[in-house]
Amino acid sequence: MTKCPACLASFATADYVTLAGHLTERAGESDPRHVRWLNQNLTRKKTEPEALVPGLRRVYDIGTGSVKTWIQGKFIAKFFGTQPHPFVVALQHPTRATLRGYVVEHQHFLRQWVRSCAFVMARTDQPKVILYELDNLNTEFGGYGPGRVSHYELLLRMGESLGMDRSRVLATPPLPSTRDAIAEWNEIARREPWVSVLAAMHSLELIANRDLVHQGASLRYFDPAILEGSEITDAAKNFLREGYEADVGHSDEALDLVTEFSAEAGTREDVQSTFLRSIDLFDDYLLARLERADRLEA
Amino acid sequence: MKRNYAGCAICDSTWGDVWAEVEGERMFFCCDLCLVQFRGLCERIKRETGWATIESLEITGDRRGRTCRASTGSRTFDCRVAFNPQGEIRRFEKAAPARQ
Repeated sequence: MTKCPACLASFATADYVTLAGHLTERAGESDPRHVRWLNQNLTRKKTEPEALVPGLRRVYDIGTGSVKTWIQGKFIAKFFGTQPHPFVVALQHPTRATLRGYVVEHQHFLRQWVRSCAFVMARTDQPKVILYELDNLNTEFGGYGPGRVSHYELLLRMGESLGMDRSRVLATPPLPSTRDAIAEWNEIARREPWVSVLAAMHSLELIANRDLVHQGASLRYFDPAILEGSEITDAAKNFLREGYEADVGHSDEALDLVTEFSAEAGTREDVQSTFLRSIDLFDDYLLARLERADRLEA
Repeated sequence: MKRNYAGCAICDSTWGDVWAEVEGERMFFCCDLCLVQFRGLCERIKRETGWATIESLEITGDRRGRTCRASTGSRTFDCRVAFNPQGEIRRFEKAAPARQ
């Protein structure tokens, strides 16, 4: 099934004519999501629906690659292209406020992460997907005992190393962009096919995939030099290093599973649309980390 | 207010159909978010400069950050602005002091 990449409304597979009609109709009503998607992905010039169809075909075309390489390409263009995401720029050599903003917003993200992955496990019939999610959830949230604590625990320790009381971090409500993104990721996890949820969530781990620089990314998530020296606290190094080392495997393995279980065109387009919506939410969520940093700095 | 964009006052898109009065003039916007951004931008420039009105506003850039040049009479004011997803100003930097 093809879905609208702005609102996930469903259309017949490869029915780009109806999808184009839907996008122009909703944009004509000034709906910000649809206007945004058209502005950022096709054109800022109002056109007739049929004029959008070739562009939509290009957006969804995976060419000679796979859905994995398509997702990697779109992700790089959005977050690591000629204009990298401002949070990525800020994280190259982060200020104390940037890391503190990261802590406050990201603990909310990770708590939703558990729910989204649990939905995948509950709804898939594929043991290797369940095993993948179990390992991911332990790495990200559960941990493997005191010798190998979770990414969530490392995040909270980073906060403490920056003078943030853990109980206050956990009691701080998310900013609106984080709150709204989390609510929509939860809806996606509840409602969309599990392969699409797998793609929507685990594609986001590409953000810390250091190998993307070999595929055209203009920079890494952060300058690896900050893991040496005294620019950031040891706890911050431990947190960033964990993602740096884990997310290559996490994102690669998940996208291999997505490719394997989305071979059919209808499933693939569903995956592609859900991924496109998810990276728009992620873009907003990363801005919330910066906004929180600005507030903490003020 | 003289503007460099023929479409939406903030992003030049011609999608959408939002019309609103800003600075005493009826203007076109592609969506309500851009209207919120534009109103916030005008208010901030007036607050920073002390001007009563903005006679012209040139905007370049995109969602990652916009560069603006505001003018009134012989005075100009340059700034860079970025918004949050709710359309509120997230970053505002004067690029040069207002020239009298």
